[in-house]
Amino acid sequence: MREELLRSFVDMDEQEAVRIARELVETEGGAVAVLDTCKEAMEEVGRLFEAGEYFLSELIAAGDMFNQIMEFTLPKLQGEEVASLGTMVLGTVQGDVHNIGKDIFKVMAEASGINVIDIGIDVPHEKFVEAIKEHKPELVGMCCLITLGVDSMKRTIEVIKEAGLRDDIKIIIGGGRVSQAVMEHVGADAWADDAARGVRLSKELLGKE
Amino acid sequence: MAVDAKQLAAERAARLKAAVELKEPDRVPFTGIGGDVIAAYAGITSYEFNFDYEKQCQAIIKYVKDFPSDQPVIGMTGLGNHVASMAFSDYPDLYPIISRVDGPTNDILGVDYCRFPGRELDENSSPQFIGREYMSAEEYDELIADPVKFCFEKILPRIVRAFRDMKAPEAHAAMARLALEKAKAGAAMRDMFRQLQELGYAPGGLSVFFAPLDFIGDQLRDIPNLIKDLRRYPDKVKAATEAVLEPLLKVSVNAKGPGVETAMIPLHLNEYLSPALYNEFYWPTLKEGILRLAELGMKSQVFFEGRHDAHLETILELPAGWGTAYFEKTDVRKAKKLLQGHTCIMGGIDVGMVISSTPAKLDEYIKEILGEMMPGGGFILAPNIGNLPRETPIENIRAVYEAVEKYGKY
Repeated sequence: MREELLRSFVDMDEQEAVRIARELVETEGGAVAVLDTCKEAMEEVGRLFEAGEYFLSELIAAGDMFNQIMEFTLPKLQGEEVASLGTMVLGTVQGDVHNIGKDIFKVMAEASGINVIDIGIDVPHEKFVEAIKEHKPELVGMCCLITLGVDSMKRTIEVIKEAGLRDDIKIIIGGGRVSQAVMEHVGADAWADDAARGVRLSKELLGKE
Repeated sequence: MAVDAKQLAAERAARLKAAVELKEPDRVPFTGIGGDVIAAYAGITSYEFNFDYEKQCQAIIKYVKDFPSDQPVIGMTGLGNHVASMAFSDYPDLYPIISRVDGPTNDILGVDYCRFPGRELDENSSPQFIGREYMSAEEYDELIADPVKFCFEKILPRIVRAFRDMKAPEAHAAMARLALEKAKAGAAMRDMFRQLQELGYAPGGLSVFFAPLDFIGDQLRDIPNLIKDLRRYPDKVKAATEAVLEPLLKVSVNAKGPGVETAMIPLHLNEYLSPALYNEFYWPTLKEGILRLAELGMKSQVFFEGRHDAHLETILELPAGWGTAYFEKTDVRKAKKLLQGHTCIMGGIDVGMVISSTPAKLDEYIKEILGEMMPGGGFILAPNIGNLPRETPIENIRAVYEAVEKYGKY
C-alpha cells in the first residue's frame, strides 16, 4: 500500500492518494507509514521539479495533498517520536506582504522534516531578532517577492548582527527576485528562487545532506 | 513642442518601432530603468509619490531629465483595477476613471487587494497587489454565462468596499468622488505629459490585456485555488477562459487612444504551469488574444514573468513581427537564438545586478549584453523587472545609462 500511495502522490492523483492514505492510516503503525511515505513523495516531487519535469503547479498541488493527508494523520501520531532535522524561523521581510512563495516553501520544508516557525509577512527586523532569541533556530529563512525586499533583507541581517546573533545561525534568502549577486549584497549564506532548491539548500545548511 | 523636442521624440519613437519591426535602428532602443528610486532621487517618500500628484510629477520630470532614454520612466503610480474595467467594459469613456487605483482613489474606494505606502504599509514601501479568493469554485457557471454581469454584480462588491451595496448612497457618493478626484489627477497628468513632450517624449502609453487564465487566477480565484481547479474542474476552467476573452479584449480597446497602440500583457501563471497545462489552459486563449489584438490594430508586448524557458517555442506559433517578447529570467541570448527574425526581444538588464553591483562591473555587463544582443536588430534594452528599489545606488544607475550611450550605437 505504501508503494501505491507513493506512486499516486508523485503522479498527482489526489483522490487516489488521499483514499489510500485514509485506509493506511487506520492500520497498525499506519500513521508513521503515511507520514514517511508522504515525506518521501514530497522529496521526489521536489527532485522532479529541480530536474525540470515538474513545475510550480505540481509543487502547489503536492503541498495541498500533503496538508490534506496530514490533517487526518498527525492526530494519530501523538506520542510518537517524530525526528526533526532542525528548526527554522521563516518570514517575508518588512515592506513586502506576499505569502505564496513562502507558503509553498514552508510545506515542503516541513515535509522534509524541518521544524518551521512561520513568523508571517511584512516582518519587522526586530521581530526576526526576537524570534531567533525565543526559538533558537539553526536556520533563518527570509522571503521577498518585490525588489524592495532586497534592501529590507540586508537591513534585517544587519540588525541580527547588531544583536550579536549572526554567528549562531545560517541564513537563506528566497523569492522571485533573489540571486547570487543579491545573496552577496545582503550577506546571507544561501539563496533560492524556487522552493525545491530552497529546501535542498536548507538541508545542506543543516548539515543533513 | 519645440522643434528640437519634436525631432527628439520622433527619433525615439522610430528607434522603438524599428526594433519591433525586427530592424536595426541607429542606436539600441532603451526603455530606461527606474521605479521606487524615482521618489528617493527627488527626496520624497513613496507615500508622497503615491498620494501627491504635484510631487509625483516633479519627481518624474527630475528623473527623466537626468536619466533620458527612449521611453520616459514613470515608475509605479498605482495598481490596476481590472475587475472594475471589465464590469464597466461597455462604457469606454469611463476607462480612465475606473481602470487604475492610485493612493487617493484607494482612499475613496477601499480596494481589498491594494496595499499602499503610508496607509497599510510603511511610508517608503511599494504599492502592492495581494489577491485572495473573491470567487468560489461553485461560481464558475455564473462567470461563464456572463462575465461582465458577474464581475459587476458579484465580484466588484467583494473587492471594492465602497461598492459593497451598489444601491446604497455610499456607492453613488464614491462614484461621484472618484470622478472628481480623477479630474484632479487628470489635470496633473496632462501637465506632466506637457513637460515630457518638452523633453522630447511623444504622448502615449500602453493599453493592457491579460491572459484569460491570469485574469481568473489573479483577480478571481487566487493562484493556489486555481492550480487545484485545473485538476478538479478542468472543463469549467477552460470554458471560463473562453468566456472572459471577449470582454478582456473590449477592455484593451477601451484603453486604446492617441499614441496608445501597443497592449502590454503581463503574464503571471506562465512560470507556474507545466507545458501540458500551459498548452491546454493558458496558451490557446492568450494566443487568440494576441491575434485578435493585431486584428484590432494593436501590437502586443508580452512580459514573460519568471522563467518561460519551458514554453519558449510556442511563441513561434505567432506570425513573424507580431510584437515584443519581454523576458524576466529567461536568458535573452537563449531567446534570441530561437526568435531572431521572428520576435522583437526586450529585457537584458538584471535588476539584482543594478542594486548590488559596482559601476565598473555594470559597464562591462552592459557592454557584453549589447555586444551579443544588438547584431541583427529586433532588440530593446530594458530592466528584467521594472522596479529599482529606493536604496539603489545612483552611481550604478548612472553607469548603466553611460554604458548604453557608449556601446549602444549600431
